[in-house]
Amino acid sequence: MEDHLQNLYEVLSKVEGYVYPNEIELNWSILIVLYPYITGLVAGAFILASLERIFKLRILKPTYGLALLTALAFMLVATMPLISHLGKPFRAYEIMITPHLSSAMAIFGFVYLWYLMVVLLLEIWFDYRRDMVIWANETKGFKRFLYKVLSLWTTDISPKAVALDNKLGYIVTVIGIPSAFLLHGYVGFIFGSIKANPWWSTVLMPVIFLFSAMVSGIALVMLIYILLTKIRKLSIDMACLDMIAKYLFYFLIIDFALEGLDQIHRIYEAEESFEALHKLVFGKLFFTLFFMQGLFGTILPLLTLGTFQFYKPKEQIRKRIYLVVASLILVGIFFMRWNVVIGGQLFSKSFYGYTSFKIGLIGAEGYLMASIWLIIPFIILAFLLWLLPPWKKIEVDHEI
Amino acid sequence: MPQQIKRLISVFAIFIALFLIMRQVLKPESFGELGHYRAKAIQENTMKELHYAGSDSCAKCHEDILKDKSLGFHKQLKCEVCHGPGLKHALFIDKVNTAQIPDSLVLYKPIQRKDCAICHQINAARIKIQFDTINTSMIHQINVLDHNLMDLDTKVEYKCIDCHNPHQP
Ligand code: HEC
Ligand code: HEC
Ligand code: HEC
Ligand code: HEC
Repeated sequence: MEDHLQNLYEVLSKVEGYVYPNEIELNWSILIVLYPYITGLVAGAFILASLERIFKLRILKPTYGLALLTALAFMLVATMPLISHLGKPFRAYEIMITPHLSSAMAIFGFVYLWYLMVVLLLEIWFDYRRDMVIWANETKGFKRFLYKVLSLWTTDISPKAVALDNKLGYIVTVIGIPSAFLLHGYVGFIFGSIKANPWWSTVLMPVIFLFSAMVSGIALVMLIYILLTKIRKLSIDMACLDMIAKYLFYFLIIDFALEGLDQIHRIYEAEESFEALHKLVFGKLFFTLFFMQGLFGTILPLLTLGTFQFYKPKEQIRKRIYLVVASLILVGIFFMRWNVVIGGQLFSKSFYGYTSFKIGLIGAEGYLMASIWLIIPFIILAFLLWLLPPWKKIEVDHEI
Repeated sequence: MPQQIKRLISVFAIFIALFLIMRQVLKPESFGELGHYRAKAIQENTMKELHYAGSDSCAKCHEDILKDKSLGFHKQLKCEVCHGPGLKHALFIDKVNTAQIPDSLVLYKPIQRKDCAICHQINAARIKIQFDTINTSMIHQINVLDHNLMDLDTKVEYKCIDCHNPHQP
């Protein structure tokens, strides 16, 4: 008898008040936090690249190639947290071969595929084709073979052909912007459309996800850019960095305003779920929401970047501060995803109780697994930078 | 047509063709025959071994208990909730020698305190109801570790069924 009751007591010690039996255990854990986080980084990095290309912000040129490759590196891993979260990962492909329109996740498979194949890969291909043809002639052995395959054995690098590449690349970027919006808006939609969950169910969710994605993606490219120039012992292009910071500031304002609106809306409406959410926010989410996401992830970066618009300290100091701000933002957005995904499961949909979330170091859903999926994109990026170094490219003016 | 366009179109054509072929090969057998699922799943499920017989089938031989139960607090509980799956018992018990019934046909008797605790143990996550209210959608809670635990003189632990008739508590 003791055993049985011991079990019951253990389970009940996790919960406060009344929760439905299927709410005691959180089914969506840290890996599902990573999924919107990583897809967001992809969309954000891509949009930074598009700023240069479409809106002709020449000053951002030094980060154009880097942003694209960052987007690709993270895109390749974006679905991995989802798949490793599945109980039967080897059946994951079935979502693609037997899709149903009523399944939001199945359609995500196609949105993902579209974005990867038609947008990212094509744009990078058009951008690098000429260089790959040239590099194929300059290198030997396996690397040469790789360039040949990647350039699809094309050889034509006449000015006419290159101009065509440029033009098509431009068209792909134009299609790419709404596609990037779609990709990440869609991730927001997957959460926002769950009407049983008042913490998620808001039409603003896709928009909030989108802007937070831009913020995190831009911060990531900024961070990588600073670190990369340091590693390569080059001097940094401060004008470019300042411009990135400026856009980061703008997007951060929009993101902050949107999230603020969402909360104000919730507070003013004060639906029947309000009391439960209020307790959640000031209880279990207090630290991650107010400190990690709010203070460190939003307010501090906003103030710093805002100050820089009027007053610019010395380059050396500014660079260090940008590094810190970018890291803060990246951590802040991670906790934004955390607060959405984990927060949405901490309270009972009866609004009478709460459960708690414990995460282990090891195991399929532990910290280690999550960090693996965060480290792999950087390894892929290192490989991509070795294979397709943006700094070795022949300068092309994206003017058409 | 420019070279690079030609190459791209063929790569995409190969990719799409591959996808369509994979789809044909990997699509689970019988998928889509009846709807957006594997038609065979129905058959597979019907082929699963049955374990439960249902309370009605117990009536044939245990009518007295069914009648007792229908008068008491446990009237809405099915027999097999407490006694466990009883299909084999119901089908074969009268086909064997009563003197030596094989173990597989003997049903569990929930005579221990923990058996009743499954439903009656006090639990903050279940809504409490007042003593003496008759509300069959909720279950009266007691603390199994405390409620009439043992005989105060002999220190022998009571079983619930020493005082409550399980079929008519
Ligand atoms: C075909 C008649 C028949 C049916 C149907 C039947 N039983 Fe029985 N049951 C018996 C007989 C005969 C015994 C007595 C066996 C013995 O002497 O131990 C018995 C004994 C039992 C016992 C007591 C076992 C023990 O160890 O003392 C339980 C409990 C029981 N049945 C439950 C059920 C349940 C629940 C059902 C419905 C799923 C059911 N029976 C259906 C004939 C039947
Ligand atoms: C609340 C749980 C519970 C339910 C529901 C229940 N039983 Fe029982 N049953 C018991 C317990 C406990 C015993 C053991 C009684 C004893 O040993 O004194 C028992 C004993 C029996 C016995 C053995 C003979 C006897 O009277 O001791 C039979 C037969 C039986 N039950 C049949 C049934 C049938 C048929 C049903 C459905 C109509 C049913 N039971 C529903 C708990 C339950
Ligand atoms: C499958 C769940 C379940 C099991 C197991 C179970 N009960 Fe019950 N019990 C109920 C339900 C449902 C009621 C009716 C609602 C109520 O009055 O609490 C009930 C009612 C009662 C009552 C009447 C409470 C009142 O209203 O005063 C008693 C006494 C009782 N059970 C004793 C037992 C004993 C003793 C056992 C163990 C042999 C047992 N129960 C096992 C579900 C169960
Ligand atoms: C010594 C005899 C005795 C034993 C043993 C006993 N009970 Fe009781 N039980 C009673 C009496 C008498 C009442 C009614 C008065 C009361 O609530 O104390 C009762 C009441 C109950 C009630 C109704 C409580 C309410 O709030 O309405 C439930 C449920 C119950 N018992 C279940 C059990 C279970 C389960 C066990 C075994 C763990 C058990 N009893 C053991 C004598 C007993």
